[in-house]
Order: sequence, then C-alpha cells, then structure tokens
Amino acid sequence: MIEVSNLTVRFGGVVSLDGVDLRFEQGVCGLIGPNGAGKTTFFNVLSGFVTPSAGGVHAFGEDLLAMASFRRARWGLRRTFQTEQAIEELSVFENVAMVHEHSKLPSASRRREVLESISFVGLAADPSAKVGSLGARDRRLVEVARTVVGKPRLVLLDEPAAGLPDDETEHLSSVIRQIPEHTGALVILVDHDMGLVSHVCGVTAVLDFGKQIALGPTAEVLRDKRVIDAYLGTEEVA
Amino acid sequence: MGIGEGGHGGQAPGAGQVAGVEEARDAGQALRPSSEGAARGPVFAISRVRPETWVRVAAVTAVLAFALFAVPVILSLYYVDAMTQVAIYSIVALGLGVLVGRVGLYSLGQAAVLALGAWTAARLLFATSLPFPVVLLAAGAITMVLGTVIGLPALRLSGLYLALITLMLAGAITVVLSTVNFPNGGHGFLGYNGNLIHIPPIRRPSLAGSDAAYYRYAVVVAALMFLLVLWHVRTRPGRAWAAIRQSEPAALAAGINTTRYKLWAWALASFVTGVAGGLLAGSAHFLYSIDFPIQNSITLLAVVLVAGAFSLWGAIVAGLLLQLLPALFQNWGVSSDWITILFGVGVLQVLTTAPRGLADQVPKDLRRLGRLLSGATRRAAPSRTGTT
Amino acid sequence: MPSWQDFQPFLVVGLALGGVYALSGVGMIVLYRATGVLNLAFGAIGAMGALIAWQLINGGINEWLAYVVCVAFSAVLTLVYGVVFGPPLAARDPLVKAAATLGLALILLGAMDLLWTSNGGAVRSLTLATDSSTFTVSQIQINWTQVIALALGVVITVVTGAWLRYTKLGTAMRAVANDRQITATLGVPVRRVEAAAWLGCGVLSGLAGLLLADLVALDATTLTWLVISSLAAAVIARLRSIAVTLVAGIVIGVVESMLVPINSLTNYADMTPFVLAGVALLVVMFRRREITVSRGA
Repeated sequence: MIEVSNLTVRFGGVVSLDGVDLRFEQGVCGLIGPNGAGKTTFFNVLSGFVTPSAGGVHAFGEDLLAMASFRRARWGLRRTFQTEQAIEELSVFENVAMVHEHSKLPSASRRREVLESISFVGLAADPSAKVGSLGARDRRLVEVARTVVGKPRLVLLDEPAAGLPDDETEHLSSVIRQIPEHTGALVILVDHDMGLVSHVCGVTAVLDFGKQIALGPTAEVLRDKRVIDAYLGTEEVA
Repeated sequence: MGIGEGGHGGQAPGAGQVAGVEEARDAGQALRPSSEGAARGPVFAISRVRPETWVRVAAVTAVLAFALFAVPVILSLYYVDAMTQVAIYSIVALGLGVLVGRVGLYSLGQAAVLALGAWTAARLLFATSLPFPVVLLAAGAITMVLGTVIGLPALRLSGLYLALITLMLAGAITVVLSTVNFPNGGHGFLGYNGNLIHIPPIRRPSLAGSDAAYYRYAVVVAALMFLLVLWHVRTRPGRAWAAIRQSEPAALAAGINTTRYKLWAWALASFVTGVAGGLLAGSAHFLYSIDFPIQNSITLLAVVLVAGAFSLWGAIVAGLLLQLLPALFQNWGVSSDWITILFGVGVLQVLTTAPRGLADQVPKDLRRLGRLLSGATRRAAPSRTGTT
Repeated sequence: MPSWQDFQPFLVVGLALGGVYALSGVGMIVLYRATGVLNLAFGAIGAMGALIAWQLINGGINEWLAYVVCVAFSAVLTLVYGVVFGPPLAARDPLVKAAATLGLALILLGAMDLLWTSNGGAVRSLTLATDSSTFTVSQIQINWTQVIALALGVVITVVTGAWLRYTKLGTAMRAVANDRQITATLGVPVRRVEAAAWLGCGVLSGLAGLLLADLVALDATTLTWLVISSLAAAVIARLRSIAVTLVAGIVIGVVESMLVPINSLTNYADMTPFVLAGVALLVVMFRRREITVSRGA
C-alpha cells in the first residue's frame, strides 16, 4: 500500500508535480498521462533522486522520503528506467544477483533466488552470458528480473514495453501481471501503451501538468472525459 | 628489450564490443566463465578453470619471469633504471586507470598524490629505521587516508567539478611542496634542512641496494599492486564500479551505495600511488620538488587515456610510454618535446575514435587483421572443399 | 608586517592580474555554456600567440601589428579546433570534451618548447608598448598595461553580459547553452553560434596571452598553466555567472599579489587560486541536494 500526499516538486520556475495525492492498495497500478505530466519526476521522487518541495510518501507504513536513495532498494523499492540500465559487461546472473547482494539478503539462498527470478520472467538466455551480447527483449527481461529478486515491496516500471514488438509486449504483460502474486509487491506501471495498461493494471491514476486528474478502475479512467481531453488537449480560444 | 614487468590481466576476446575481462592469475581466485557458451557455473564461487585461462596465466608468468630475470642482464644500467621507473609509473597508471576506466572519475592530480607518497616515504626512511616494505605500506596507507579525507566531500561533486577540484588540489600541493621541500635528512616534522651540505641519499631496502636489484624489487611490488587491483576488479567492488560507470541512478536503484564504492576506488588508487611514491623515493636517491610539476598530472591522465584506462595491460603500456619512451628518445638525441606532442595527438585520437585506448584497440585491430588474413588464405586456396 | 605603502604596488599588480583572470574566465565560461567545452588549452593558445608576437617584434615587425597577429592567431587556432573537434565530441560528457582540450594543450606545449627552446638560459620577455607609459596616483606608479588589463577585464565582462542579453547572436548563444537540440529546431544556426563562441574565446585567449606574458613571464609552461588561476575564478562562478567571475578573478589576483610582501606567506601566495576555488567548491557541495539523473531516465 502506498500513500502519496500533497507531493510537490519545483525546478526553478517549473512545477513538475503540483500537490499530487494518490493511494494505491495492491496489485499492478497504472500511472499514465501525456508527456511532461510528471510521471518520471514522480518515479524520481520515489527513487530518491529528486527532493520534493512539499508532501510525503508512505509505503507499507514507512516514510519513504526519510530513507537515503540507495537504502530504499534494501527496503524493497525496485525500478526500471526508460533507457537500458542493465550492465553490459556483467553477466545476466551477476546483474540480477547484484540487487540481491546489495539488499543485504543472505547469500546462502542467493543463487537459487536469482535463478528463480530469471526463470520467472521467462528469460531463456544462459545466465552466464554477458548482457551486452543479448538483444533488446532479453535485456528488458533482465531488468524486470532485477525488480523481482529478493523481497521487493514496491516495483516501479517506467515504460517497460517501449520499443518492443507486440508479441513480446504480450509476454511482458503476462509477467508483470504475475509480479504481485509472486512477490507480494505493489507494482506501479508507467506506459503509453493503453492496451498494456488496460490489460495489466487494476487501477490507474492519471497525471496532467503535475496534477492528479483521475484515479480509479482502469476501464473507467480510460473512458473519463477529463483524461481524454488531457491527451488530446482542449484549447479554449478566447 | 622486455615489454614490461609484473602485471597481468588480459583482454578476453569478448562477444565483440565489451573488452577487458581479466582472467585470474591462478585457480585460487573466483573465475568468471566467458560468454562463449561456457557451462552455467556458479559465478560467485570457485569454478573450474578453462584452458584459455591457463594460456593466459602462462603468458603472464613468462612475461614476469622475463622482466625479472632477463631484463637486467640484457639491458644496460641506463635502461634498467628506466625500467624501474616504468614499473613505478605503471602502478600510478594502474591507480588512475581504476578511477578513470572503472568508475569514470577523472583525477587531474595523481602526480601530486605520487609526490605525497614519495614525501611520506622519504620522511619515514630518514626518521626511522623501519624496514623498507613497512615504509612502503605506511606511505601507501597515509596517502590512502589523505586521499579518503579529500575524497569524502569531493566525491559528491559531478564529474567535471571533481576533475577541477583535483586540479586545484594538485596545484596547492605543488606549491606547498616547493616551499616545504622534500626531506633530506634534516630534523623537525618536515625533515628538511636547507643548509645541509652533504645530503644523505634516501636509503633502499637492505637486499636491493644495487640498481639492478632495486629494479627487481620494484617489479615484484608492482606485481603485488596489480594483483591487489585485479582482486578488487573481480569481486564485489568491481561489479559495483561497473554499475556506477554505466549509470549512477540505476546503481542507486539497485541498492548500491555509490558514494561508498567511489570512495573505495579513490582509496585504492591513493594507496597504490602512495606505494609507488615510496618506490620512487628509493629509486631516486634524492628528491626535489621541481621533479613534480603540475604538468605531470596532466600528462599522466593523457597517457592513461591513450594506453587504455580500462584494462590492466593498459597500465603497463602507460608506464612504458611515460618512462621508457623518453629514455629511448634521450638516448637517440631526439627531443622529448616530440613525445609531449605525441601524447597530445594520442589523446585527441583516442577520445574521438577509440574511447578505450590502445590496449583495447590494438588487440581488436590485430584480431580484425587476423580475421582478414584467414579470410584471404581461405579464398586463396580454392582446392579446399569449402565445408569448413 | 609591511606598511600600506609597501602593499600598494602589489595591489596594482594584483588588480591587473585579476583583470586578466577575469577576462580569461569569462571567455571560458561563455564557450562552456555555448558548447559544453571547458577549454583547458586557453592558456597554451595565448602563450603561443604571445611567443609568435615576440618572434615578430624581434624580427623588426611593428609591435602593434604583432599584437594583432597574436590575437588573430589565437582566434583562428581556437576556431579551427572547435570546428574540427567540436562535432565528433558534441554528444560526449563535458569531462571528455575538456580532456580533449588537454590534448591540444600538450601538442602546443611540445611545439612551443621545440620552436622556442628553453635551454641556453636565455630568458625571453615581452614588454608591451603600453608598459612605457606610466603615471602616478598618490605616489603609486602605474603603467598603462596594468590599467588596460584591469579595464579589459571589467569591460569584457560588462560588454559580454550585455551582448548575451541584448543582441540576436547573444540571445541565440544563451538559447544554445540552455538546450542545443531544442534551439536547433527553432531554426537557430547552432553551428554558427558555436563558431562565434569559439572565435570569441580565441580572441580573449590571445589578449590574455599578451597581457600575462608582459605581467608575469614569457614562458610557455608558466603561461599554459596559469589558466588554472583563471579556471579557479570560473569555478567559483559555478561555470555560470560572468559577473561572479569578474569579482572572483579580481579577488584572486589581489589576494595573491598582496600576500607576496608578507614574509611568512610569500611562498604560499601562489596557492591562492586553488584555496579559494577549493573553498567555493566546498560551499557548492554542501548546498547540493539533488543527483543528476541520466538522460531519459
């Protein structure tokens, strides 16, 4: 369960997030909005890369903002980025094991848990293969594997399907759907692919110009006039 | 002429674009199976050694043996001296390589750190009768502590600012050194007596007094430093550094305390450079602040970039470029200014085309050449049934 | 402790030096903001220009013409570097771009040492024509070179500031500095704007080279690495504000020079730029709260 209250972020004169309130209970939750709405800024606040000017974030009863950014991973925060971030010169195993290692989880079960995560995401590549030798789809799966290893509590996925063809998006969506059940974590998914979002997310929140303009069951939200207007952009011509 | 002294680590022919996988020197260390379809062995524990590794180990051992035993016999004393400096500067390049090549931190002041190490060692050698190896360790440790103290606040700065602050620090250290001078057997904290007429030379280890013996001593110390760095690179810090170099936010998101690991790299680089400084003190007999101008720090960075900051072999190439090349040129009567120009051109070339430097580019080029040649020979022999 | 009388000539020298540090700092910052390149070869380029001027004057050429040649040479060399090495490195980290300029600095240093060897003990000096005109202000003797140095520092800062704000090219440069890609889509000739920045930086390095050769020494190594003092001023200004660069440059110059007559501190005077820049950076560090997220993340 994650609760965000009055989250505000200002960069110079620009207000990226403007008093955002939202609450996700469980499962896979969507976060959508037009470009520049503040979705990535929101993730950056959760990750600890951006300090909000106001507001708070509480997840699973703990104040997330009080933790240093790298400690949040230990706590159970996991995240993927829009650009590829799997480490090319290390192997698949090492990439996933790194998260496990730095989360201070016991090393006895490490090997088993890492291999489990790798098979959970359906990655068929040799775990000792260097990520640099893999294709885009497999690299993306490595990143997802990194989010489910160990004991994740909050998984942030930033446009995981970007650039993937339809059949691979299918596979990815079925993996994502199973994450809450498999790990007990809450997943927040940011994406522009509405098909993916409606397929995978039970509830969805919508940001526009840094404000939360809708929050509810995905199907309803996607039909909401305000949301449609936000994407199409209504201009009042005086 | 020997191609160098202790130091090993090699370039694995990776899957094309990723170079610089070092193989362990002996089976006692954790090994990483290569990407070429090796069995799924556990990575974090000891696994079986591949034949390629044995070849590599043999090659490195051969080079080391040659450096230790053949070089002092083959070369004249002038060149043996130069090779001692090669060993010393290889260590410095090794440290800088860890910072630049592994973590992505540029230091424009490593020559000043070297000077600090040399100063500390000289002071200890005059003031105490500690055995030489202990002095080396002490010089390394003190330099490491100083480096860490500076690194702690400095590492929070972004890349360019960090480089600039190292430049500022190097400048400050250079000025202080020219005022304070190197110890020359005098008393007091600074150990410098401007009025001394007969300055005692800095002492050397008891079993390595002669130049040839000191050369071997330096080679052994260098080999140990390379081992130390290799051990770091192959284990947790090395992996964390790879993550940080790829993307600091992603590393943080994976739970890596980036400040701690950057500091660790900084401490390691300072330590080995301090030890190199100690070796330098012993090799030089007399040290003068004029021998450590700020330009040396710049040249050091330039050469490390050209030779290859990422691979351990690159550090050896850097040492050769920094110390053997000038010795050769001096012997041949060619101005060493040409070397400065060469380094400048090298930097421009490397940064615009081959970001990982000579040590990465040359093996790649050789491999490409090899493939070209084997392709040509295959085409030139049409009598083969072409099913190979 | 020396008397105020004893300090006065050092104050004058300090102000002059500070003016040059300031104008160098401004040159470097404008180029950095427009192209992302911190030109660490700034000093070397000016040094070579100064040596060429010296060579010409020694050969009998009119000194004012020689000064023009120096500035022109520096401008052209900087521009050529920018045009040749700017594009291939444009997408790289500022650190890499700065390191590349170090390559240029080394090439120039080697060339200067080859062409104007420093052995033989002959010390070269460059005395600008303006050195000989002096005047006295309440018993302190000042020569016109020193006045020009300080004046140029101030004037260049003010003019550059106004130019950036009010002229079309200046505004374009600010836009490019802010975001190169967006500015390009607005139809601004980015390449031309960058060329202007390179050229301007080159002109300033030629001027700085001449002045420093006169005020300090005509020595390739000294002049090349004096860039670090100007860099200190730019660093104090966070590589951003040219007004702060002006103040910082002058403060560095003055403090540095005023320490010289104090016997116990003479030897440490040279440390001034480093210490001041270091302190400024420490202040920056303690203010920072955000980590730069990589692009696209």
